[in-house]
Amino acid sequence: GEVPSLLSAPPSAVRAAERWLDLGGGSGEEGSEEGYLRKTALRSVTLDSESAQKQEGSGSDSEPHTSCPSSVEPHGQEGEQPDCIKDDTDDDDAGICTVTESSSQVLQFEYHILYSCSYSSPVLYFRAFTLEGRSLSLEEVWSSVHPNFRLRLQNSPLNTITQQEHPLLGQPFFVLHPCRTEEFMRPVLQVAQDQHRPVNYVLSWLSVVGPVVGLDVPLKYSTLVHPASSVSSTEPD
Amino acid sequence: IMADDKDVLRDVWFGRIPTCFTLNQDEVTEREAEPYYLLLPRVSYLTLVTDKVKKHFLKVMRAEDVEEMWFEYEGTPLKWHYPIGVLFDLHASNNVLPWSITVHFKNFPDHDLLHCPSNSVIEAHFMSSIKEADALKHKSQVVNDMQKKDHKQLWMGLQNDKFDQFWAMNRKLMEYPTEDGGFRYIPFRIYQTMSDRPFIQKLFRPVSPEGSAHSLGDLLKEMYPDAITNDGEQKRYQVVIHGIEPLLETPLQWLSEHLSHPDNFLHICVIPVPTD
Repeated sequence: GEVPSLLSAPPSAVRAAERWLDLGGGSGEEGSEEGYLRKTALRSVTLDSESAQKQEGSGSDSEPHTSCPSSVEPHGQEGEQPDCIKDDTDDDDAGICTVTESSSQVLQFEYHILYSCSYSSPVLYFRAFTLEGRSLSLEEVWSSVHPNFRLRLQNSPLNTITQQEHPLLGQPFFVLHPCRTEEFMRPVLQVAQDQHRPVNYVLSWLSVVGPVVGLDVPLKYSTLVHPASSVSSTEPD
Repeated sequence: IMADDKDVLRDVWFGRIPTCFTLNQDEVTEREAEPYYLLLPRVSYLTLVTDKVKKHFLKVMRAEDVEEMWFEYEGTPLKWHYPIGVLFDLHASNNVLPWSITVHFKNFPDHDLLHCPSNSVIEAHFMSSIKEADALKHKSQVVNDMQKKDHKQLWMGLQNDKFDQFWAMNRKLMEYPTEDGGFRYIPFRIYQTMSDRPFIQKLFRPVSPEGSAHSLGDLLKEMYPDAITNDGEQKRYQVVIHGIEPLLETPLQWLSEHLSHPDNFLHICVIPVPTD
């Protein structure tokens, strides 16, 4: 099915997305509206290096990943692609710093959402630095993923983290490969359609994939939706 | 015509670039290192074909001074995940041969280059390109119908330089329903060094809605109009694929079938015309 335009979501949800995602620049060409949605956040993270080492090889040694899409076009000339939001205000809603008892460090994470025209789906790119500016390695990134997610990712090699070149910036980023995006988004879209509810596609997608890599979608960005009256009263739930 | 087309496939596969590898002067060595000469396959990847280069320079270095190997040309770190021919055409094509590449074993530029800890990373990257190309060409139907061993055959064909082994499988990825006149979309990337953007990749059909075949010129007009020289203007850019400048009238579908890299992408370099 078509990806609903972000702009067709209810205004409150759109404004919510605008508050914490600002639009990163594209190549700066005149008239170019290409870009990506970006958020930076500080996170206090415990790098669990010992168990991470067991995870690190999981992606590479098993079957080759269906590495996802590195192609971009958040909104293009074709109508089926979702539009990008331009936002002028940058919310200072940076991530929450929690103090944990075990050894932890504060890292700066940068999250980008791009749209893959090859796969017609959003893709999450991210990278992390120490406060001194050192980039995190893949092992360290793996170790920053919550153990529950790590286990799940390890068991499905098609959903894993690898390093890829950012298609607009040309720099190394980590990419979460939700190659099953359509699989888990389809029920969401279907249910919403059945209940005549609008759906904010990117926020829904992000709420599933984001937390795996520490990108939380705060509750306040979900909206209380009143279902429109059903067309047919005999429709099953 | 069919025989000529097969020749093109072979010429593309067996293209080579004579290269001279020199050790970075700042590396700590026990004695002077001789340069190492190698013919690099245009369609392969730097980290896949330079084991001998590494062995050669390791002979003059101490193990503790050796970190991940990386390559640089005239100050530009070379992206191993780009096909070798693309790197050459983009950065060095109008310079003298052999291509002079500098080898480094420290200070890995992790803001510029992806890490390449093993061949399985190269394999994963290669297969992901093939899968993305098929998503564009066939909505992933052909690649998903293949078995794991078929995917492996594509990779082994590339890794071991086995043209027949590779094409026995790859020809399936080059088929399309006759009535469609071509693939759904053409997998391509346009590279240039005039701006920071690494490449342009967008959706583009091989056939117009009216049914006429799109040409290379049509693609460029849509994606990179600066590359086209208008009447009366002086030519500013060369449009290079596998080291040659195809006529802009060439049908894009034909280019995709015959001049794609093994990863099934048409890699196109736009470079400034040399000013001698």
